[in-house]
Amino acid sequence: MDIIVENVKKTFGDKVALDIDKYIVHSGEVIGLVGNNGAGKTTLFRIMLDLLKADSGTVCLGECISSQSEDWKAYTGAFIDNGFLIDYLTPEEYFRFLAKVIGINDEQLNERVNRFESFMNGEVLGQDKLIRNLSAGNQQKVGIIGAMLANPQILLLDEPFNFLDPSSQMAMKYILEQYNKETGATIFVSSHNLTHTFDICTRVTLLEHGKIIKDYDKDYAELTSEIEEYFKGNAF
Amino acid sequence: MNFQRARLLYRLISHNQRLQERRHPMFEKNMAMKVFGYIFVAFWALYFITFGVSFFYIFDGGPLEAFDMVDGGLIIFLTLDFLTRFGMQETPAQDIKPYKLLPIPQNFLLNVFLVRMGLRAYNLFWFFFFVPFGILAIPQFYGLWGLVGYLLGIWLVFVLNSYWYLLWRTFINRNMLAFIPPVLLYAAGIYFGLVDDEYTRQILGANHLQPLFYGCLYLMRWFAQWDIRGVLTVFAAILPLFFANRYFQGKSIYFEISKAEVVKNVKSNQMTWLDKFGEIGEYLKLEIKSTQRNAAIRKQFVTGVICMTLFCSIFAFTDIYDNDFMRIYICTYCFACLGVMTLTMVMCPEGNYIDGLMARKESVLSLLKAKYYFNFIMLLVPLLFSLMPVFKGKLTVVDVLGCMFFTSGVVFPFLFQLAVYNDNTVHLNAKLTKSGTSTKAQMIFSLAGLFVPMIVMYTLMACFTEDIAAWCMFIIGVVGTALHPWWLRNVYNRFMARRYKNMDGFRNSR
Repeated sequence: MDIIVENVKKTFGDKVALDIDKYIVHSGEVIGLVGNNGAGKTTLFRIMLDLLKADSGTVCLGECISSQSEDWKAYTGAFIDNGFLIDYLTPEEYFRFLAKVIGINDEQLNERVNRFESFMNGEVLGQDKLIRNLSAGNQQKVGIIGAMLANPQILLLDEPFNFLDPSSQMAMKYILEQYNKETGATIFVSSHNLTHTFDICTRVTLLEHGKIIKDYDKDYAELTSEIEEYFKGNAF
Repeated sequence: MNFQRARLLYRLISHNQRLQERRHPMFEKNMAMKVFGYIFVAFWALYFITFGVSFFYIFDGGPLEAFDMVDGGLIIFLTLDFLTRFGMQETPAQDIKPYKLLPIPQNFLLNVFLVRMGLRAYNLFWFFFFVPFGILAIPQFYGLWGLVGYLLGIWLVFVLNSYWYLLWRTFINRNMLAFIPPVLLYAAGIYFGLVDDEYTRQILGANHLQPLFYGCLYLMRWFAQWDIRGVLTVFAAILPLFFANRYFQGKSIYFEISKAEVVKNVKSNQMTWLDKFGEIGEYLKLEIKSTQRNAAIRKQFVTGVICMTLFCSIFAFTDIYDNDFMRIYICTYCFACLGVMTLTMVMCPEGNYIDGLMARKESVLSLLKAKYYFNFIMLLVPLLFSLMPVFKGKLTVVDVLGCMFFTSGVVFPFLFQLAVYNDNTVHLNAKLTKSGTSTKAQMIFSLAGLFVPMIVMYTLMACFTEDIAAWCMFIIGVVGTALHPWWLRNVYNRFMARRYKNMDGFRNSR
């Protein structure tokens, strides 16, 4: 499904957090959103998910304008932070709750959760712990799995590699690639980890002070060198 | 550390402490609560002033002077002061954490925090009693300077009590049983210090003078006379307490830093018996689990159930509320009180995971429905209790059902309006309820939730007979209850219209 961001502007006081004229993501693309802190990545995600009101402009997820209808929620999965987790449930209870809400039966739920077996690495299920008592990495895993349970056609993940150990980061990359191949879903990932972003994304968008300053869907070598130059330039 | 640096650091830390209070995310929303707090303090201040004046006239003209009588009984004031501090005063051990790695000696930090504890305005609260009392009682014997000395003494005694409290509070933070020794000490102090009965005479001798009574009496006389022995005596107690506090607070910092939350194993409970209710059943499970597993929610719920049971028991098993109006009013109150206590904060616990709820279509509507059904089911408890007065003939079945449906059909819809306006997150597992987290709307709605039924009943009973009033309540209530899908949808639509503001508020207060 396509995502169209049009004339979206958001300011906090005098500070422009987001200012995008037109940004189109085509169905099946895997987008990496990169930028320094305060570039507007999470603000863009929140506006896309109708969790924050844009001063102007619209975001279309598939056929729906996200701020005007709730229908897009049926085919969109997202995880931004722990504000998505009901942390007084165990992971099993949380997944079952989501399954009931999105309308899948126990068999389907087990089948879908089992896809993440290596990602969970035996540390999520069967621990007899509430989500709030899991490590930050395992909470992140619960959130990501929860976002993908409905097999969404649009998947938005804000910094999914955060808190994950190296093995889980590799597993995460594999899962996203496979998911994109199998379902043709549009995936939007923001990250500070450039290597992972370059590895899995078909297109990388660079944000600075709320504006899209580069949008690469070119060859890998040019993309990596240009973006790395950009961040080096900002660092020194 | 030289004096200049010590002064600078003292100022910086004091400044940070003031900012900590002022910049609390809830500060803006707390304004209503702060005003309420000030009114509360003013109310007590007025009480104390009245007591201060009254005590003078009560004891004036007796065998001992009025100030001797009051000063002799100082232990009672100190006991009350000790107990009230539990809601007002925390230990500095936690506040020190952010400074722990800075190049500031720990003992200096502790000194700063302890000195600030001694100088805090709360130690002057009892002045509302002692100033008016002192003005009437002291100058005629010791002049104005005597009054100043006397008040200085009172202040120092309460500072002493503050350090005494802090010491025990530190122990209590580690083990609740540490509450027992100070309570026993105060009780023994009051009994052996003030009471003159056969038993105390047996223990202390036939002609004993209550030692604590006369000890306090002479201590305060010394202050009024500017006798150095007064200051020396109090300081002789303050200084060891200060250093004992510093020692134990220092130990307590390590305890606070290394304190790991005890994680209990929790078995997944799927509550499959609720599966037949579909999505609403899932949200009902959330309600039940939230109440079971979150300390703040559990505490609120248990308090509500205790209040409800208390009202129900008084109503069912005693004859206290037996006139026509009070009977119906208390009956409604039995049904409404739990809802008023829990629904006032409707959506506030969900502020913790509002993003997850908002990412799913109409999940907030399902949540509101589940909350309504949960509270409706809870009405069965007072309904059972109300059968007793029905059997006794105090109430009719229509009276009881009228009260019940009036609650579910009028009081609940009224309280559910707060789902539109509440935008402050309640911390689910906070052990202590932070004071001042209620907003203006919550206060108004909770008060209205208690008083609107009373006004409606007054009106109905003034216009009609008691029977007709009960039927009216029953019919209005049943209609309101039957219309719950409509008014819950209305609440949901208005919540969605305000969603950005609410979500912003929830995030800022997490």
